[in-house]
Amino acid sequence: MNQADVSKLMSQLRIAIRPRHRNLKNKDGPEGRLLKLRKTVTALVKHERIELFYNRADEARGYAELLISNAIRHGDTHNATMEMADYWLLEKQLVHKLFKVLVPRYENYTVSYTRMFNAPRTYPGIYYKNSVLELRGNPYPSLIVDQSQNKNLLHNVLLDEARKEYRRKKLAELAQ
Amino acid sequence: MKSVITITHPCEVFCSFTMSAATKLHKTSWCALRQLQQYRTKANFSASSSSIAKRNELFNQEQKRQRDAVGRIDKIEVRYLGLPEDVTLVMNANISTPYNCAQHLSEGHKRRSALALIDGSVPWDMHRPLQESCTLQLLHFQVSEPHVVNKAFWRTCSFMLGAALNRAFKPEANLQLHSFPGPNIKSGSFVHDIVLQTRNWQPTKEEMRTVSAEMVKLALEDHEIERLDVTQDIAQEIFKDSKYKSEQLPSIAQQTHGRVTLYRLGDHIDISRGPMVGATRFLGKCTISAAHKVADEGETDGFYRIQGVALPSGIQLNHVAFGVLEERSKKLNPARLPNEPFEEHQQLQLS
Amino acid sequence: MNVSTRFLINRLGKQCAFNRIVTYSTKSTEHAAANAVETEKEPKIKETTASTASEASIPIRKPVIPANYRFIYPEFLPDPKIEWRNPIREKLERMDMLDRRRQIDLPEFYVGSIMAVTSSDPHAEGKVSRFVGICIHRDRCGLRARFILRNVIDHQGIEVIYELYDPTIQKVEVLRLEKRLDDSLFYLRDALPEYSTFDENMEAEQLEEGAPVPVNDIKVVLRPRPWLERWERQNLRGVANIDQYLKDKHRQSARRVQKPWEKYDLMKQYRATIPEEEQNEIFAEVYAELHAQELQRKRNKRKRTFVKPKQLA
Repeated sequence: MNQADVSKLMSQLRIAIRPRHRNLKNKDGPEGRLLKLRKTVTALVKHERIELFYNRADEARGYAELLISNAIRHGDTHNATMEMADYWLLEKQLVHKLFKVLVPRYENYTVSYTRMFNAPRTYPGIYYKNSVLELRGNPYPSLIVDQSQNKNLLHNVLLDEARKEYRRKKLAELAQ
Repeated sequence: MKSVITITHPCEVFCSFTMSAATKLHKTSWCALRQLQQYRTKANFSASSSSIAKRNELFNQEQKRQRDAVGRIDKIEVRYLGLPEDVTLVMNANISTPYNCAQHLSEGHKRRSALALIDGSVPWDMHRPLQESCTLQLLHFQVSEPHVVNKAFWRTCSFMLGAALNRAFKPEANLQLHSFPGPNIKSGSFVHDIVLQTRNWQPTKEEMRTVSAEMVKLALEDHEIERLDVTQDIAQEIFKDSKYKSEQLPSIAQQTHGRVTLYRLGDHIDISRGPMVGATRFLGKCTISAAHKVADEGETDGFYRIQGVALPSGIQLNHVAFGVLEERSKKLNPARLPNEPFEEHQQLQLS
Repeated sequence: MNVSTRFLINRLGKQCAFNRIVTYSTKSTEHAAANAVETEKEPKIKETTASTASEASIPIRKPVIPANYRFIYPEFLPDPKIEWRNPIREKLERMDMLDRRRQIDLPEFYVGSIMAVTSSDPHAEGKVSRFVGICIHRDRCGLRARFILRNVIDHQGIEVIYELYDPTIQKVEVLRLEKRLDDSLFYLRDALPEYSTFDENMEAEQLEEGAPVPVNDIKVVLRPRPWLERWERQNLRGVANIDQYLKDKHRQSARRVQKPWEKYDLMKQYRATIPEEEQNEIFAEVYAELHAQELQRKRNKRKRTFVKPKQLA
């Protein structure tokens, strides 16, 4: 029953997070872990879609989300946020991208800023799960096919016929 | 609710305990279900259990005979087209099935594929042995042109409805499965026609829900759907105690050069031209919505048309939209009725 | 059980009151209006403290929750540990906390404030004791929230742990409302005794209304080693002479255990805080009640400041 830390105020994340962090096996301890994640976050902001092991992607995702949400919250005139961006983005031109490109892009989002997919694992190969981590609104073609508009899917056929029948009924009523 | 469990044990069938438990069940909460509960039973201790066992035995014998008749194993080349990449598989003629090909590809293919497409045009059951070298595509319900697999799914639903009805009624109801017309998705419902030894069955909501639950149970039990082509004689032998099936058989055999296609799900066997999807687990949301009395049959019996609507397991639909579909599926399906000329009806069934 | 039944009764009562006005009224409009006025009065009578302008306006306005509520009432925020979260328990606890606050005035205080707590002792029936001291620590949340008071009495350091919502507490006074430079003042245990000595007959000092809480930037002087904790490792700001007692090996080991990267560990911070949206939700729930109590406290304070007839024996 510890008290919540009130010195910082953060926005709610739109993704599910784990109760505890993952250690991400590293000989340099927590500092090395953060360095690993910094590399991942930098790559994510740079390339907007990366493929990597699931554990590392899932850990880095939270940091990327918070970095963007803080940038949106405080803007580029806030010293602490700028320092944070400077720490997390190893390539300095990406700090500019974060504040000038990503912040306008995500300002009015009501969903998470990143997406994660399970990716196939080569067999035989390394056992770890693979995943794809991407920023929403990236310029690449979508990874999943949107079938919701496909008229030939069974439920769409059924709904289509139901609608037609309803219209016929209405027309018949009007004709009377 | 302990009494529900006791029914499942076949040894206790004739114990008085079971009966008293069942009556207690009626008194407590499921009063509305009484009518169906009286008819309700497990197939393996119904009066017709011996005939079902006989059917299955004959089916197994014929299946085994056909497998043994393969003799020398020939190799065929199956060219698989699709994700992740096109490959050529060397399989055994008349033994290997599209399901075996999917097993070579990946767990996902195995789990997801509902129907195979041979040479780009011929729909082929997942568990039907391949006969010669061909190209193979594996279909599921989310492909961009799912007409074929949708049709197979609709037909499978009708077939499963027969099995579910068989399970839901007690032998006293004297249920006889008649037939089911060919799949027509646009009509909004799949259909199975049955004959019951009552002329004024007004099914309640709970009774229809029980049948729906049987469908869901079938889906959860994940039965493989087997296909077998047999000669007319064997089909007659299998269906000799089914009045309507044996009536239908000659005309079916006449159209298909003396061969009859049978499908089996668990211990339920029926005639259908196929194709059907590979297993019952592909059934997702399902509602058996209505039972219409269509005509009187013979002296005491009534001819009923049972209808329902279902979606494949991968497809999500919110309950409002599904409610619209359910409402629509309650209307009497316009598919051909058997009081119209019998041959035409059979043609429709075989389409 | 008790809590939940009370919760239900409260809820039911409210619902019934509204239902009577809106849906089940079969009388004519005039009667209905009269009825409505009557039922409006009821909650006012119930909540004797809440007869302010904000309460009188029935249409629901979104309350503007002051930004400093999380500092004043940190115990209303639940423990951020995800495994221990339980929205229903938290809500019930908040209701109980408000119930307790209706009985006793629990003023705003911070670590570093000088307080006097009057409490009764279950082992000394009929007696109360008043302890004056500086608040050196606040921890735990919900009904278990507690704070530690420290004072030096007869050259002996005394610390008392009080639970804020303990029913044996009879009165909590804040004699001097201020903050210190650090979040907890355990180092007073190793400081010279004059830094934690406070007169038990101390008068309450009044702050000007609306003035920010002052930060006392006093730096305490530590005694020589041995200490209770390795203060050199804790980056304390309120200690003057820590360097005087350090050898090189202490400095090295202190440098070794520093974790400068932790201030960049966003997820660690996130897991230690309650997100803003959730805080707003929680404080919106208790705002009306707390605000009314604050206003009442202000009114009482004004009375006290104006009328000051001190009777000397």
